[in-house]
Amino acid sequence: MSARAVSAPSVRDALFEAPGPRMRRKIVVGTAVSALLVALGLAVVVRQFYVTGQLDARYWSFFLEWTTWRFLAQGFVGTLEVALTAGAIALVLGLVLMLGRTSGVRPLSAVCRVVTDFFRGVPSLLLIYFFFLVVPQYGVKMPAFWMLTLPVALAAAGVLAEVFRAGVNAVPKGQVEAALSLGLSPARTMFKIVLPQAVRYVIPSLIAQLVVVVKDTTVAYVVSYPDLMQNARVLITSYDALVSMYLVIALIYILINYAINKASVYVAQRTGVKIIR
Amino acid sequence: MSQRTTEGSRSGETPVIELRHVEKHFGDLHVLRDVSLSVHRGEVVVVIGPSGSGKSTMCRAINRLETIDSGEILIEGEPLPQEGRELARMRAELGMVFQQFNLFSHMSVLDNVTLGPRDVLGLSREEAESRAMELLARVGVAEQAHKVPAQLSGGQQQRAAIARSLAMRPKAMMFDEPTSALDPEMINEVLDVMVELARGGMTMVVVTHEMSFARRVADRVVFMADGQIMEEGAPDAFFDHPRTQRARDFLDSIRGH
Amino acid sequence: MGLSELLGTYGQNYLDGLLTTWGMTAVSFVFVMALAVLVTVMRVSPLAPLRAAGDLYVQVFRNIPGVALLIIIAYALPSLRVVLEWRTCVIVTTILLGSAFGSENFMSGINTISVGQIEAARSLGLTFGQILRRVVIPQALRTTVLPMTNLLIAVMLTTALGSQVPLDPQELTGVVSYVNTRSTGGILAFLISALGYALTAFVISFVGNRVDRRVRILR
Repeated sequence: MSARAVSAPSVRDALFEAPGPRMRRKIVVGTAVSALLVALGLAVVVRQFYVTGQLDARYWSFFLEWTTWRFLAQGFVGTLEVALTAGAIALVLGLVLMLGRTSGVRPLSAVCRVVTDFFRGVPSLLLIYFFFLVVPQYGVKMPAFWMLTLPVALAAAGVLAEVFRAGVNAVPKGQVEAALSLGLSPARTMFKIVLPQAVRYVIPSLIAQLVVVVKDTTVAYVVSYPDLMQNARVLITSYDALVSMYLVIALIYILINYAINKASVYVAQRTGVKIIR
Repeated sequence: MSQRTTEGSRSGETPVIELRHVEKHFGDLHVLRDVSLSVHRGEVVVVIGPSGSGKSTMCRAINRLETIDSGEILIEGEPLPQEGRELARMRAELGMVFQQFNLFSHMSVLDNVTLGPRDVLGLSREEAESRAMELLARVGVAEQAHKVPAQLSGGQQQRAAIARSLAMRPKAMMFDEPTSALDPEMINEVLDVMVELARGGMTMVVVTHEMSFARRVADRVVFMADGQIMEEGAPDAFFDHPRTQRARDFLDSIRGH
Repeated sequence: MGLSELLGTYGQNYLDGLLTTWGMTAVSFVFVMALAVLVTVMRVSPLAPLRAAGDLYVQVFRNIPGVALLIIIAYALPSLRVVLEWRTCVIVTTILLGSAFGSENFMSGINTISVGQIEAARSLGLTFGQILRRVVIPQALRTTVLPMTNLLIAVMLTTALGSQVPLDPQELTGVVSYVNTRSTGGILAFLISALGYALTAFVISFVGNRVDRRVRILR
């Protein structure tokens, strides 16, 4: 038994059994052919860049100037400010929505449920247009920062409310019964016993949701807020380097989000909890 | 039963299962060291030993759920195929019962038992189902035929899993710690089915910790430690007069001395 | 602007918007599923280059912001002499993003199957193809009903990216921007589109939950 645990197999690996000689030959050939195909695909892409002149130095040289990176870094700070503020608001609002929904008070529970489902069921872009185009019609003047941060926060709050609820459901029923039988009120049971454990369960999921928030902030240009994407657009017009700039920016976003996902998986493994999506 | 097990009397007959000088490593771990074993028709071989001794690995190697590094495995004198349809055909002739039952969780018990006969042996639904119902009745879970595995107790699941293997009419059955995952009160219902099977003349390799079963049913007991077969012999001789120190230590430890 | 005036002037826009959103969602989802299957097959294959390519595909498209991808496809690709229709740009973006998540769903569906069941199937003499057809795929499909329901909703929400390019007809989010730059539609102008999304999402998840309850595998 213990000997078998050495090679703890996942289904991904178990699906194909250890190959025999014939299969091994096929795998060698298949590996070579598929490597060739992947390389060929890459070559076609690179060639297309080359023949369209997109590999010219003028499209890439400005990445060697540190003013470029300073400007992008300023944009990144803007992204960070929106993402963290929106994340913090969503955290509080999501928790409130979950508490309302699980409160057991019928009308409150129903309202929280509708609000949660609404924010989960509409695109964040639509919410942004609401704050950008609709709110000003009622005479409310908002800075660009809030026209971006609030809709991103609301969209995330709907999701987080569900994440929190899953966390609460993951707390063993016996804990609640034990607390109630000790004479704790339902509210005290929730705040003293259930929530602290639920929060522990959902921390990796909360980190993972930050990816969604970061992605949502990229439409900052709609409200002309200077985030990473918006600053990249400014650089594009000044250097006339659309393709190279967008690719680099996309890569930066991918790396940021990849790092956040990795962090979430790391925390999940360290604390031994599952990520709820 | 016992006079059929003496090695000399059957030297002319091809063993159903034969391992010759089998070696296997898991990384640095040497899990099978020069393992040779013959199992003859109608013989019940019980493999015992401390955990990590390689007994499960040996059992699983017989139908190539584990690959081996060197040595030979022969089924009725034919080398175990290494892949493809030949391997699948050979596996269909060997039954395997697992510690964790491994019933297909999305199918009813009946569908679990008819899957092999229908998809591998090509039986019609009616034939497969009548064969399955007969076997499920024999192992005592006919009433559970239309439930899914999760609705059955562990003992019932394991008996259904035995029926699933039997439905293939195998030449031999391997049992890889079939009662280790069961609650104590369910162990006997599974062992009873296995005893019946042994009495019916099935060729069996059983990896187990159930010493009373070994004493009662085995034609031969094989004791493994550190990937080696340390000794083998008739059950009474082994349990009453183990020859090696390792076997004595092992028997003492499980008797709680 | 009141509701009747709003609908009188822009009713057709909203209706077209809803149908465009639904249409793009449906087309995208079909391709999302097909591509997700393909990428998942690559990721579980024994060929290392395909595995690596599949894993990279998923990491790139689940981490790239939708707007960034849309802009690359709509505005950067023409510089590389790949010119697509606006509507196609939005659909391709949605398919690329959705299929990465779809493949993740399939992978976790496959991972809920125990290795032991595959070994049991092997022991019965089932071939690789039979194991896939009878054991792996049915279980993977049945456990992914809810995640795929959520993915369908996510695909619908992603088509709102269509508001960032000149579509004709526009989809639901674009209509809100269109109406509000022409007249003061107020909160109603927003709510009509929002309800279009939210009610569709509600119906999708209602149906998804019903289906899930029917096919869920007891463990």
